[in-house]
Amino acid sequence: MLSQDERERYDRQILIKGFGEEGQAKLKKAKVFIAGAGGLGSVTATYLAAAGVGVIRLVDHDNVELSNLNRQVLHWDEDMGKKKADSAAEKLKRLNPGLKVEAVKEKISQANISQLVAGFDLIVDAMDNLPTRYLMNKVAIEMKIPFFHGAVHGFEGRAMTIIPGETACLGCVYRGAIAEGKFPVLGVTPGVIGCIQVTEVIKYIVGIGQLLTNRLLVYDGLNMKFSEFKVKRDPNCEYCGHSRGKESR
Amino acid sequence: MSVKINLASSLHHLTNDQAVVEVNGNTIGQCLEQLIARFPRTRKRLLEKNGALNRIINIYINGESVSPEGLATAVKDGDEFHIEVIISGG
Repeated sequence: MLSQDERERYDRQILIKGFGEEGQAKLKKAKVFIAGAGGLGSVTATYLAAAGVGVIRLVDHDNVELSNLNRQVLHWDEDMGKKKADSAAEKLKRLNPGLKVEAVKEKISQANISQLVAGFDLIVDAMDNLPTRYLMNKVAIEMKIPFFHGAVHGFEGRAMTIIPGETACLGCVYRGAIAEGKFPVLGVTPGVIGCIQVTEVIKYIVGIGQLLTNRLLVYDGLNMKFSEFKVKRDPNCEYCGHSRGKESR
Repeated sequence: MSVKINLASSLHHLTNDQAVVEVNGNTIGQCLEQLIARFPRTRKRLLEKNGALNRIINIYINGESVSPEGLATAVKDGDEFHIEVIISGG
């Protein structure tokens, strides 16, 4: 049930066909886990907060540094040295006081991931490395929590939506890992990809549209091209190969 | 078999800034070998030392993913490849 203030705040999206107050109420009930409060995390958390999701748990153990500020738009000059999770949570609460934000200042690991995501409706991938992404993909499959992948590099981005037990997962698409460390990125690239991830999350929660499942979206900002590749479930995938069953959504 | 290979932007510096390269081959593997013969610097990026597809590379043929073991897959005239590189930033 929405309050009068909520009806007014979300009026423009409630007007969207298929969305309505019912869709808004679904967003209000949703509990979203965001892994990372960097470039993708800033954008996904901002737009999910503005859209009216009920709870966001934002996990990041890093501190804000000057070199983050070209793209991690929830962190400002005055925030340098603060924990990113705290810096982000403070802005999100100011953006939307109706939102419940949980700032978790832990490093995601094999030891804590299951506990961190327990009770959440979906996981947003806003990480900066592949090993943690594979770990989240594994837990998402095991706990049957939808997983919204995004990645960026320079002018390039990727996005894909994973519905455990139904669609291709990250392990069906990627196999390798890339050396961690400093990577080039233009600030707007996580802006583009993060907004695509949020679009997917909102569609999933509200139950409208066609999800980016079994399809990898490849964004090339330098040549301003979006390409889409069909991805098949890998029967031998180490993450989801054993859980085949339902038809793709 | 004339096949068009579209390369990810991050590979263009290895192909004299060519985004698209046309090759002739009967299998995906043969097409990759022709690409490498013309642009030898692509070898290290595309293949492991044992000749298997590099784990950071994804190949799509006519818009559909090809399994890493699929280098022997036959291609036909007019097929189009995309070679993409995994990215991991956030």
